[in-house]
Amino acid sequence: MSDYFEYVEELFKSGEKRDPPLKGIKVLEMTHYVYGPTVGAALALLGAEVVKVESVGEGDRFRAAVLWMRMFKKANLNYLLINANKYVITLDARNAKAREILLKLASKADVFVENLRAGLLDALGLGYAHLSKVNPKIIYVSCSGYGQYGPLSRAPSFDVSAQGIIGLAMKTGWPDVDEFYKLPDYFGDFFPAMVAVAAVLAALYYREKTGKGQYIDMTQAESLFRFFYDVTYLSLTGEEIGKTGNVDPLAIASGIFATSDGKFVAIAIMDEGQLSALSKAMNVDLLGPYKGRLRTKECISELNDRISKWASSRTLDEIMSHAKTYGFPAAPVLTDLDVYKDPWRWERGSTIEFEDRMYGKVHIPRLPIHLSATPPRVKWLGRPVGYHNRLVLKKWLGYTDEEIKRLEEEGVISYWDQAPGMCPPDAWDIDSDPVFKGEKDECE
Amino acid sequence: MSASKRDEFFAKLFSPEGKPSALEGIRVVELSVSNLVGSMVGGLLRELGAEVVRVEPPDGDPLRELSPYGVKVKGLGIPYLVENSGKKVVRLDLEREEDREDLRKLLVSCDVVIDALKPGYLDSINLGYRSISSENPKVIYLAISPYGHFSKKAREMSNVPDSDLTAQAYNGYPSLIGNPSVRPTPLRAGMWAAWAMAAICAVNGVLVALYERLKSGKGQFVDIATHEVLAAVHAYPITIGFLFGRSRPQYGFIDYLVYPFGVFKTKDGYITVATPFDTDFRAFLKLIKRWDLEPDWRYAVDRVTDDVDRIVELDREVRKELLKYSSEELIKKSLSRGLLPEALRRLVGRPVIVKSYTLKEALGEEHWYIRQSMLRVKVNGKEILVPNSPFRMSETPGRVPVEKMFTQEVLTKESFMAMTSRKSE
Repeated sequence: MSDYFEYVEELFKSGEKRDPPLKGIKVLEMTHYVYGPTVGAALALLGAEVVKVESVGEGDRFRAAVLWMRMFKKANLNYLLINANKYVITLDARNAKAREILLKLASKADVFVENLRAGLLDALGLGYAHLSKVNPKIIYVSCSGYGQYGPLSRAPSFDVSAQGIIGLAMKTGWPDVDEFYKLPDYFGDFFPAMVAVAAVLAALYYREKTGKGQYIDMTQAESLFRFFYDVTYLSLTGEEIGKTGNVDPLAIASGIFATSDGKFVAIAIMDEGQLSALSKAMNVDLLGPYKGRLRTKECISELNDRISKWASSRTLDEIMSHAKTYGFPAAPVLTDLDVYKDPWRWERGSTIEFEDRMYGKVHIPRLPIHLSATPPRVKWLGRPVGYHNRLVLKKWLGYTDEEIKRLEEEGVISYWDQAPGMCPPDAWDIDSDPVFKGEKDECE
Repeated sequence: MSASKRDEFFAKLFSPEGKPSALEGIRVVELSVSNLVGSMVGGLLRELGAEVVRVEPPDGDPLRELSPYGVKVKGLGIPYLVENSGKKVVRLDLEREEDREDLRKLLVSCDVVIDALKPGYLDSINLGYRSISSENPKVIYLAISPYGHFSKKAREMSNVPDSDLTAQAYNGYPSLIGNPSVRPTPLRAGMWAAWAMAAICAVNGVLVALYERLKSGKGQFVDIATHEVLAAVHAYPITIGFLFGRSRPQYGFIDYLVYPFGVFKTKDGYITVATPFDTDFRAFLKLIKRWDLEPDWRYAVDRVTDDVDRIVELDREVRKELLKYSSEELIKKSLSRGLLPEALRRLVGRPVIVKSYTLKEALGEEHWYIRQSMLRVKVNGKEILVPNSPFRMSETPGRVPVEKMFTQEVLTKESFMAMTSRKSE
């Protein structure tokens, strides 16, 4: 019998490969910023055909939201990622003709995703009631901060607002410092988006078996509450856990400790077996003296002090080697650059070099769901405002060049202007681009 | 439709009564002894209607002990109660040949295996994917571990158990959080963020494999590494590394993309402020009556946060000013702009200001009870709250079966035999 890890590697590298799991599924989305687009992106990476509708003019406003104002070939690389594999079109939803096109597209879609203000699409005649009339089997997903109904449903929401309203933004920080740090990098958008993906996949599964579509009301707030065990703790004890610095209150001992070589190591002891492993590594008995009072605040802090002292006289490598030998959770604290360069992520195929037809070579992460027979795949990155207008109108709806031209003249559909975030890279020859003209698909 | 009519309509549409679940008929076997993230995956699949069978050691799972500061209800820790209610339990000693045979029966007759044990362990007792899939080719085998089940590192680290804190660390999260001028130590995100993200991605892997199986008739291997998921989903460390060739410094009280975007103190509490666009920022300056700051900070490019020392100057002014107002005053002012028609609002801008609640304040909002975002459970004459399923689906609503919280079904020999004798799905 061959080695297990080699066997699994072989299975992922050259085992049976089948069609993308969502091949044949059509998704229509009216989304902007991060929450909604990330839902469609995951579906697109899993093989669905996704058409993203942006507003005429500037398009999705996340296009311009560039980290440190550094454009990548006149685009926001993070926009390009959460809109990869999508066909991007523009439509002015306030225009009756555009709404007619939207309904036609919706009648061909399996899934509709939106993250506009609660009630906005209803008011425009594009709510679930309207879409399910033209397409009873549709799975319609609304993504919002707090839901489609209830007193807070009309409150505005961004990542940080949702974190604030559910009490999560006050959870990160040092107990003795009057500062609060939100969870960074839009956890309040990305996590709820992945929860919404699960809802869509479950609904697709159910529809495949019963033929029934449905309406799904996804919220940032309820998604973030789901694993927020503080809620139950508070209702049980009357006390808030609040900020705990680097202590994981679920653990017997935990923290981020400075090592003798000027680095940091995270250690978290989740059960007594791991505490006994750490005892062996530290060559002391950590179980006996604390028997019967493990997990109390006092005990946690005593243990953490001892670990901190021990770690401060050892190098990170020494500690990691103990973790491997004896078996307790420990990890180095990586920086952005460490994560980017991490050879393990490259070896696993989780970080990849991808060559895009329009943007050339980029280094990007893949959807971190490794499926042996149907791996997620990036086919192309996001595109300029209105880039696929012609292709989609022809391919999905059979419009002629003349009809499309009329829509352009009437301003029902539109294209980028030269503002960064919306336009193609400088050197791009748009006039001889067959995909833009709607003559050729992105991947053929 | 008026706002109240709309509320009524939706409350009815989403009522869970008498409705089916999406994953009815799917059987999941969860092996996650003392590893909460495996139970989180099983917990979400249970919510969607799958029958989940947990394999626990004869003397009980140490996971029961895991709880904030060891707090327990009827002998069980909070995460165990929340994630495992409604799951069935079978007690097996995997060191015994007989019990291994029982586990084999269970694995070859189920739809989904959750393997959250030490990578390679099940294979070493001949119950891993290669053995099970040869008998049960439709099986979906989910492995969830710190570094996955393949690659050199996965093997090298296979003896290191999982934790949320180490997963956060290896995803680069704590390097971003905190204020170095106060304490220059990396700081943990105050929630189980790395495990939560890994768990939901694992669930997505299982669900898409189940959907694909309806067409191909075949299962597959799904490999989730908790130590890579969070950073790969939001992608920032990788795009930053690629574009800038350097890391972001730690300054968690400021957002990396826009300013202001974070938690701020007021006269009587805390708020969050988000001003995604220049117009919103300028509206914010008017709102706090600091138009004098406008010439220096007008454009997003003036407020780029890569120069911490510079942005801190603006931050100091903003924080000083906000202390003069009550939270309610500021929220009211920002909301009045929200009432403007969309096009006009974009033109004049609007800062998004909401309360930053403590959890106690947050749970005081009537909203969660109208929507049943929180479930109430009676225990020892007391009422405790459990967050409800986030899967608000009109036809197949998610359900956290709190009514089964203290009545766990442990399978008897007979019920075990009956279960394993029929292949589910």
